[in-house]
Amino acid sequence: MLDIRDLTTSYGPVKALDGVTFTAPKGKITAVLGANGAGKTTLLRTVSGLIRPDRGSVHLDGQDLARMPAEKMPGLGLAHVPEGRGVITELTVEENLRLGGLGRADRSRPADFDRVYSIFPLLNDRRNAIAHVLSGGERQMLVIGRALMAEPKVLLLDEPSLGLAPRAVAQIFELVRGLAESDGLTVVLVEQNARSALSIADIGVVLNLGRLVAQDEATALAADVKLRHAYLGF
Amino acid sequence: MSSVAFGSLTGRLRRTPLRRNLIGGLIGLVIVILVLESVSPFRQGQFATMAYLGIAVGGLTVLTGLNGQLSLGHGALMAVGAYTAALMLHNVEKPLPLPVIMLLSVLVTVVVGAVVGVAAARLHGPYIAGATLAMAVAVPGIASFFGDTLGGEQGLSVSTPEAPGWFADAVYFLTAHDITGTKYLAYIGWIGLIISFVLLANLSASRVGRTWRAVRDDEVAAELAGINVGRARVKAFVVSAACAGLAGSVMAMVVRIAAPSGFTLTLSLSLLTAVVLGGLGSLVGALIGAGLLTFLPQTVTGLGQSLGLTDLQSAQLAPLVYGLTLVLVILLAPAGLVGTIRNAWRRRQSPDTGSIHPQQEATP
Amino acid sequence: MQQLLTTSLTGLTLGMVYAAFALALVLIWRSTRIVNFAQAPMAMITTYVALVVVDAGMSYWIGFVAALLSGLVLGAVIERVVIRPVEGKPEINAIILTLGLFVVIHAVAAIIFGSGFRSFPAPFGLRGFQAGGVTIALTGFAVFTICSVVVVMLLLVALFHHTDVGLKMRASAFNQEVSRMLGVKVTRMLTLGWALAAVVGSLSGLLIAGGNLVYPSYMDSVVVYGFVAAVLGGLDSPVGAVVGGLLLGLGLSFVSGYVGSDLVALASLAILIVVLLVRPAGLFSHATARTV
Repeated sequence: MLDIRDLTTSYGPVKALDGVTFTAPKGKITAVLGANGAGKTTLLRTVSGLIRPDRGSVHLDGQDLARMPAEKMPGLGLAHVPEGRGVITELTVEENLRLGGLGRADRSRPADFDRVYSIFPLLNDRRNAIAHVLSGGERQMLVIGRALMAEPKVLLLDEPSLGLAPRAVAQIFELVRGLAESDGLTVVLVEQNARSALSIADIGVVLNLGRLVAQDEATALAADVKLRHAYLGF
Repeated sequence: MSSVAFGSLTGRLRRTPLRRNLIGGLIGLVIVILVLESVSPFRQGQFATMAYLGIAVGGLTVLTGLNGQLSLGHGALMAVGAYTAALMLHNVEKPLPLPVIMLLSVLVTVVVGAVVGVAAARLHGPYIAGATLAMAVAVPGIASFFGDTLGGEQGLSVSTPEAPGWFADAVYFLTAHDITGTKYLAYIGWIGLIISFVLLANLSASRVGRTWRAVRDDEVAAELAGINVGRARVKAFVVSAACAGLAGSVMAMVVRIAAPSGFTLTLSLSLLTAVVLGGLGSLVGALIGAGLLTFLPQTVTGLGQSLGLTDLQSAQLAPLVYGLTLVLVILLAPAGLVGTIRNAWRRRQSPDTGSIHPQQEATP
Repeated sequence: MQQLLTTSLTGLTLGMVYAAFALALVLIWRSTRIVNFAQAPMAMITTYVALVVVDAGMSYWIGFVAALLSGLVLGAVIERVVIRPVEGKPEINAIILTLGLFVVIHAVAAIIFGSGFRSFPAPFGLRGFQAGGVTIALTGFAVFTICSVVVVMLLLVALFHHTDVGLKMRASAFNQEVSRMLGVKVTRMLTLGWALAAVVGSLSGLLIAGGNLVYPSYMDSVVVYGFVAAVLGGLDSPVGAVVGGLLLGLGLSFVSGYVGSDLVALASLAILIVVLLVRPAGLFSHATARTV
């Protein structure tokens, strides 16, 4: 599980994250919700080492990741799929996957392409295609597959539904749900689309202006109409 | 600093910058006379050198500092001016009056500068650097190619023009001293510098200067504001070329020769060093830079000799200092000097807008 | 006919060297978005290293390897110490910095090795051979030049497309942040990129020097030709660098042979201007912009 305590990050005088504390349990999906600018992406980027926090800790398996550089994260079991997907469009599908596999902690066994290709048969069909030609939904599958190549324990997903048709979104979410359950993956899912996110999440965490304003079971949050109106837009 | 506020201010006090610059020029002239009259002929020669370097650096600093165009080829433009002047002074019985020669040198260089400027106007970043670098490397070859008219490797010798009677009389009247060849050239150089600096300062304070800065800071915004970006850039390039041409003509007379070996890449890079050191866009800085280019080599060479280096080795110490200056200024004080032209160099040329570089984020 | 053949062969051989230098420029451009104008004096100084080795009595090949190794080290050190601070900053910083390095390395070379002209050995001979009454102006050294550049290119292709390190380097060049997130030590890849580019640059320095005179400025025009070749092919494209180099080599050889060798630099400038005005992205530009 991922244990976040008092995480605080500033951009100059502005606090993008202010004392955020919550735990994302193992094998469950934790949805991080809130309006634009609430600090959701900053949260993921701080956890994954792209931004240095002012204070706070991020514990995974007893290790504090909070001040470690981003390059170390895959080796420690943390994979981050960024906002905008992060497909390296000049490389092929297989090269993207292979790159993901290079980051894995256990180098004693070869990278497990078979597993990822069986989860995403579409990627198998297009393994030699330049990633640039993939559609939005296909790209999302590619980056999740790429993250899985590193055999992570924690998966951070930043707005996977962005720009995708509803059916693709449903597919992706279902897939993530399955992975959390089958692999015991700790999933932290940042989403603008709160409704869909809450429908597959176990836990929900709501941020507003960098602060954590609510934390509860997903079903409870979905039922709290006042909260939804105030922070989640539905 | 809002350019709108600045605009209305200068609109109302339109004559003030001109008046201020003219007064500054006059004071400068007085200082020049005082200095030149009191130093040895050797120093006068050095000051003559400083004058033409100052003109060239002044033009270049306006181009790079105000308009954001980097040119590594201004040595080549100086060559154009120098050769033009040399052609009119080489083996000529009765040369044309000096101001005419200098004006013609400027005109020819302006034409070349216009051609190059049009090509350069569309280039940014490393492309304009590479293109002007190519120019700096290519021009000496042209002189060699047209060996008959342009003297080939040996170049064209230039006989020092004599001071016209009225000038000698005026100098005697003001200073009770006679005029020698060297002193005459020093005067010519500094008068040229004062005139060009006054003009540059006025341009800088005028609408043209504001247009140049606008183009430097944000081309897209400038276009949207109705500025013809291409034309503004060409104008800036032409102005700096005129300065280079004038400087070249003076150089030909001071050095008494126009030869390919005088216009190496090192010259262009030295000009750039002077610009970077003095501060991009600053005319005072240009003068300081020119001074360093003139007086530093001797000091540094002497230092080298006292350290036990041979003459040839010591001669290399000056370029070494220039290079180290460029490197150290960039590494230690980049924001101060180049921050002002930062925006003009946004990466527009390549399609790579997605690459983000590892930077320290957040932590105050 | 004879002259046509000679001019073409000379152009081809020179073109290979320009291609190698252009390749060095492209490698650095792709990874750090900097045009390394200092590549010329870097290559020059590593050639002097070889000269020192050869003058001390050792074989050409030891000097050759010494030059390449010193290039490797020089490229890595320069990136790590001098260039790293300006990566990611506005372009002009890097441009002025590489120009400053250009001047510094020049001066240092002149101080240590003197400004005089030195001759440099060329293995495999400098004579052409006869075939059916026609002199083929392909010297043994020229063949070596062509072969070594081809070998280096093949090695680079193998490195970039068939090794993990190569994949990491390409990824770092295309998207630094995503590469970091995938565990790639991007800064290390950048250093490696500069080191490799410097090795390729050193090779072109050695190949130009063979049978010619070495002096501190001898590589200066090559940086111009290499840059023009790289722009011609597209600054982002290694294949373009090679094709651009060959085309430029041929073109300039014809200018030199039929017009005059003094105008070669001017011709390259003209070609550069034409390319930048007509097709600024180069012949092999990727039509696809880098999107995510």
